[in-house]
Amino acid sequence: MPDSPSIHYDKLFRVSLLIRKFEEKIIELYPSDKIQSPVHLSLGQEAVASGICACLTKKDLLFGTYRSHAYYIAKGGKLTEMMAELYGKSTGSNKGKAGSMHLADATVGMMGSSAVVASTIPHAVGAALASRNLNKDQLIVAVFGDGATDEGVYHESINFASLMKLPMLFVCENNGLAVHSSQKDRQSFNISTHANVYGIESEYISDGYNFCKIQKRTSENINLIKSNGRPRLLEIETFRYCEHVGPGEDFNDGYRSSSDFENWKSKDPLVNDKESIAKFIPGIREEIQNAVNFAEKSPWPKTEELLTDII
Amino acid sequence: MEKIMEENSNAIIMGQGVNDFKGIFGTTQGLQEKFGDNRVFDVPLAEEATTGVGIGASLNGLYPIQTHIRADFSLVCMNQIINLASKYRYMFGGIFEVPMLIRLVVGRSWGQGAQHSQSLQSTFSHFPGLTVILPSHPDTILSSYLYAAEKYMNPVISIEHRLMYDLGFAKGVYATKSNPLHSSYIVREGNDVTIVATSIMVLETLRAAEHLSKSAGISCEVIDIHSASHPQRELIIESIRKTKKLIIADTSWKAYGVGAEVCRWVLEKDPTLLIAPAKTIGMAPAPCPTAKSLEDLYYPNLFTLSDDIANIVTGNSNHGIPLPDEKSMADVYKKFKGPF
Repeated sequence: MPDSPSIHYDKLFRVSLLIRKFEEKIIELYPSDKIQSPVHLSLGQEAVASGICACLTKKDLLFGTYRSHAYYIAKGGKLTEMMAELYGKSTGSNKGKAGSMHLADATVGMMGSSAVVASTIPHAVGAALASRNLNKDQLIVAVFGDGATDEGVYHESINFASLMKLPMLFVCENNGLAVHSSQKDRQSFNISTHANVYGIESEYISDGYNFCKIQKRTSENINLIKSNGRPRLLEIETFRYCEHVGPGEDFNDGYRSSSDFENWKSKDPLVNDKESIAKFIPGIREEIQNAVNFAEKSPWPKTEELLTDII
Repeated sequence: MEKIMEENSNAIIMGQGVNDFKGIFGTTQGLQEKFGDNRVFDVPLAEEATTGVGIGASLNGLYPIQTHIRADFSLVCMNQIINLASKYRYMFGGIFEVPMLIRLVVGRSWGQGAQHSQSLQSTFSHFPGLTVILPSHPDTILSSYLYAAEKYMNPVISIEHRLMYDLGFAKGVYATKSNPLHSSYIVREGNDVTIVATSIMVLETLRAAEHLSKSAGISCEVIDIHSASHPQRELIIESIRKTKKLIIADTSWKAYGVGAEVCRWVLEKDPTLLIAPAKTIGMAPAPCPTAKSLEDLYYPNLFTLSDDIANIVTGNSNHGIPLPDEKSMADVYKKFKGPF
């Protein structure tokens, strides 16, 4: 609980809770097979998305990952179109061709998310290059997990961004896991200090459930990026509540402990701030139910869609 | 390149060595001086990220032209080209477009070897969403590249052949087409056999056709397929309907290649179109050797090409038609000056 709840806190809390409740609805619907799309749920990681996106406008571009439900919502994507997309309906944000893993809404700057780890990081770098060359007043954000920093293309991309002095923000959501492999089994380096080797200033935030702090630190980092025109990196520790893919929990599978989970949850405002939950839950439930109704009523894509938008 | 840069203020050229003194066989020479280092710049040896940067730049309003001094290096970019660029439009339901041009240079001769000589048209053409061309003439280079930069909203891969940079060509030989990226061209009319060729094999086939015309009165119709991904199938089928014989001469391996693809349409369209077996011509099914003696065996040459054509047209392997005395192709190309 923050010391003095404010409108600012309320706004971030509501977005975070909306993400959580939307994903809990997915879990509820999943056994019905109405959503036939692999879901990589953001449960536990909502605060990172809400904190970051609170500092962005619609024209700022964010490139995410296959675990991007939270960013789609926090960036302002339409809930109705998101649910329809998960259902595979023609009214979905991407006409039912993207599903959960490739959610995108260009009108709010939610760029395409990819199912191949680290693959959109260079796209963010390229968008920043275009933004600079074309004098667009935009901030470009690359979001990725700690697993992505194992990949060569991550290292290639941050080198490129630093070399070309591109004003952009790299955000590493560090949940300590790549599917089931722990960070200590994969990495010989520390993500945030390692970025300094490439001339990229960085900051580490350990309490990734604290959306107010994330919003504040992001805002200050963006100001620094805009003032000196160089990229920066934020590493934010967070916690994946569900299994890598799918609606279940996996604390009995032997690769991580439930005590860490309980410890993290004990600090999670979306669990503990009962007063705020009570305040916002009716409106959120209605919004989510509208999205479900919209998806249910929407038509399937027409046959000709199979061969539309290839080139 | 210069014309694209002049006419399209959003075009940029990014690639290893595009600003050095060699300038990608002269094709980008002096352009950084003319257009500035924001629009023409060298990049780190980081092929996957560079390709991804091109995709992102394209998504946010630039037209990136990327170069790989050898096509083989583009294999390092396969994730970005295949998993991302080719699928961006479709995978997101048509809300994104990735117009960009990726130029790949195929090497040959002087011991280019296994990793400097591969011609990847069938690999890239296999994937929906990519447009793959193999220009064999300045006419099609100019028309295709300008069309790509000004009108086409998809990623284009152009496979250029190194041996052609030093050749002289007559201008204005190729027909003007509304979309050169989806076009094939009849470059020699004939009645006895249709020869569909790619890249430098177009030039080789024209030389063989000229020889056979003079020495045996054989009349070859030669088609430059130009677009490997979107060829003009009807133009090719109509030619076969006339000649009833088919040869495909490609710059790559035959297995799952351009020859196999052309044969597929013919068989699916009308298996009775041909009155003789089809013949596919390509490289030997091995990685490219460096020893000149082996390399000469690895590639088809004017002698083997003329012999193959004569065999198909006469239906007789003891055709008795005099064949050209061909040394290895690289020797010819060093002094070869067209014109076509």
